[in-house]
Amino acid sequence: MRMTIVAVLAATTAIITPAFAQDASYSAADEINVMQGFKAGGGSDALAQLVQPFLAEELGVNFVNQYIPGATGAIAWTQLAKQTRPDGATVSITNTPMLTTNYIMNPSITYTVDEITPIANVVTDPGVAVVAKDSPFKTFEDFVKAAKDNPGTITVGNSGVGGDDFFTSLIFEKAAGVKLQKVPFEGDGPSWTAAMGGKIDASFTNVGVAYPQVKEGNLRALAVFTEKRLPELPDVPTARELGYELVAGSSRGYSGPGDFPEEARQQFIDGLRRVTENPKFQDAAKAQAMNIDFIAGDKYRDFLKKQEAEYTQLWNDIKDEIKAQ
Amino acid sequence: MPESFLWIGLANVVDPVNLLAIFAGALIGMFVGAMPGLSATMAIALLLPLTYSMRPETGLSMLASLYLAAMYGGSVAAILLRTPGTPAAAATVLDGYPMAQKGQAGKALGLSLTASLIGGIISSIVLLTVAPLLGRIVLNFGPVEIFAVAVLGITIIGSLSQGSAILGLLSGAIGLLIATVGMDPTTGTPRFTFGVLDLFGGVNFTVALIGLFSIPQAIRLIVQGNSNENERVSSIRDRMLPTGSEFLKMLPNSVRSGFIGVFVGLIPGTGGDTASWFAYNEAKRFSRHKAEFGTGYPAGIVAPEAANNAVVGGALIPTISLGIPGSSSTAVLLGGLMVHGILPGPSLMTEYGDVTYTLLWAVMFANIALFIVGLLFTRACITVTKIPNRVVGPIIVVLSVIGSFAINNSVFDVGLMIAFGMIGFVFDQARIPTPPLVIGLILGPILDTTLQQSMLIGRNNWMVFLQNPISATLLAIALLSILQATPLFGAIARRFRNPPGADTISSAESDIAGNRD
Repeated sequence: MRMTIVAVLAATTAIITPAFAQDASYSAADEINVMQGFKAGGGSDALAQLVQPFLAEELGVNFVNQYIPGATGAIAWTQLAKQTRPDGATVSITNTPMLTTNYIMNPSITYTVDEITPIANVVTDPGVAVVAKDSPFKTFEDFVKAAKDNPGTITVGNSGVGGDDFFTSLIFEKAAGVKLQKVPFEGDGPSWTAAMGGKIDASFTNVGVAYPQVKEGNLRALAVFTEKRLPELPDVPTARELGYELVAGSSRGYSGPGDFPEEARQQFIDGLRRVTENPKFQDAAKAQAMNIDFIAGDKYRDFLKKQEAEYTQLWNDIKDEIKAQ
Repeated sequence: MPESFLWIGLANVVDPVNLLAIFAGALIGMFVGAMPGLSATMAIALLLPLTYSMRPETGLSMLASLYLAAMYGGSVAAILLRTPGTPAAAATVLDGYPMAQKGQAGKALGLSLTASLIGGIISSIVLLTVAPLLGRIVLNFGPVEIFAVAVLGITIIGSLSQGSAILGLLSGAIGLLIATVGMDPTTGTPRFTFGVLDLFGGVNFTVALIGLFSIPQAIRLIVQGNSNENERVSSIRDRMLPTGSEFLKMLPNSVRSGFIGVFVGLIPGTGGDTASWFAYNEAKRFSRHKAEFGTGYPAGIVAPEAANNAVVGGALIPTISLGIPGSSSTAVLLGGLMVHGILPGPSLMTEYGDVTYTLLWAVMFANIALFIVGLLFTRACITVTKIPNRVVGPIIVVLSVIGSFAINNSVFDVGLMIAFGMIGFVFDQARIPTPPLVIGLILGPILDTTLQQSMLIGRNNWMVFLQNPISATLLAIALLSILQATPLFGAIARRFRNPPGADTISSAESDIAGNRD
């Protein structure tokens, strides 16, 4: 009797193992928990749903999404930094700039980038300045001039205090030496909608969300905040070519808890790299207006640390003014 | 061009696979809606990955049907258990539960189902005909206008303060105060969070709602025991659907509430939870039997139920005509479009017109599917009233714990739910009405955010609200609404005879008297 069981076991293992050995390039776990600091159906989830089916195949693992929304992601990231065991079985989707601005702006949020292990950034949605189609601002220069002539009166929407567009506005104010009237909304949608309806003068938002309206002519893009012009918006200048040092956007990638096993990290990175090079994945990303921006390993850490330093400085410069409002 | 899409959409939707998807969506939606804490948004988000493998129109038809059915499903628990299954069904509790207690649970559910059908059909017709025109209206609603809508909403507190206006205002004020917990929308400063991260995002409205309604009800059922069994039993064979004359009587109310629902759904940031209260309030305002509201009066069920189903169509208008999500559920639906390579935006009506019009027809057919599924499912639900109180009570508590946990996967929220349950219990004992608190919780965050945004836009000049024609009109209506709830108009007439000023606020209960329970 016992012999049969062993035999059956041996037989099944024999069948299963080769299939596994071929795929299993992730040695730390068979199942990876992905903590998301936002609700199902949001931007983080969109990334998870896009990447994980491909990555599961590359790594030979199952992904289990765990939604822990609250405090713009801070609940999930605090858990990642303080409570998650670094065994390779749990990672989290990390969004910038919220990952760093959360604790820069709020002393009660105590995790830092140093307590997590950045794995890789996957996508970046670049920033863009948009106005209504009938706006008097035809070019970015018109907008800057108006902001210079009327300090503190040109209303510019952003997706919320602490979000990427808010900090983009701060960087722009510094770079151009102007003062804007920044109006925070709850997310990108309400911000560009208000610009489209002429409720505010302009909106700093992201290409991925505003592109359909720009394409249709309901919104006019004045400038994109990227290194080079974007292929989908070839006529829109970058802020850099107009002389403003402004490259910004919102990025999403994966990070693990502090002291994440080095081997697992490397395997995860290799898997992600193969995914981002897969033409099928690239097509799927393009269909969802996701701009692949693969930054792996220590480069991702440097990217986060640089952003942390920059945003800490910016916030310290203006926090008293904001709180006084 | 749009005409041809209209027929392509219709042809697509009657495909057996799509019809099956619509029925499946209605079934799931009804179940999800009936469970406190499980919301349509959550179900759509969870089912979304399953629809990836389907054709876009099939997947979307199922999700749209689910969204619609959840709106009705919420009323099942509201009527039978005094526990709203979804926030949009909170207003249905006021008259639905008393009616069930009179042994007319079947009739109450039938009214809710019929009203849902009427509301849903109205909104589908609007969607199929004038959606692109109405879509432009959305752009006229910026922070200033939405603030005025919220102010108008706050005046509903006046008519919900059964018994005492002072206690009603107290309750509403507490709701508004609780709504300020969390990060300030314009400065990011945490308010009343005591350093607790879980409170940074504010008090979750659905969590609060589950606690406020269900825990006091569970306690009541357990304390009561089975003493009043005779009173509570409703016959399953009870006639559910209204008779022809009843139907004609409820028609004006449903149509009015349906249009309120479409309009409120259209405005970004407001949804079924707000619309149902607006509709309830208007039904009461237009009724000659104001005192009967809250005692199991049919119009009090018809109004919120017609409105919350009509919201589905209203919320889809900006979504399909402009690509602006009108509610959190439609935001997730938009995500579903993107997966199929359809970028939400103005091209939905042109380039992807076939898929879009299929979705719109699916909403129409979903109403009928909902009606059929509802008739079958609801009969079975009425048996709940046959279960002894001491069994139902603990089950409500268990459902509430699961529901409040499921929203954010947070144990903290379970504690919060219980805390709100205690508040609800104390309110009940002190005869303080709970609905104004709910209104405060719903509208508080909207008021807070839009007020601050308006002040930024208007450079700290309060005149910004009066210089804008839409908001000035809405605020004027709000003022009239407040005055109407007070005996001021009567007092002015009296003042000619009797000069010294009458206190207008403290005697406001005169025309809104009505007994609780």
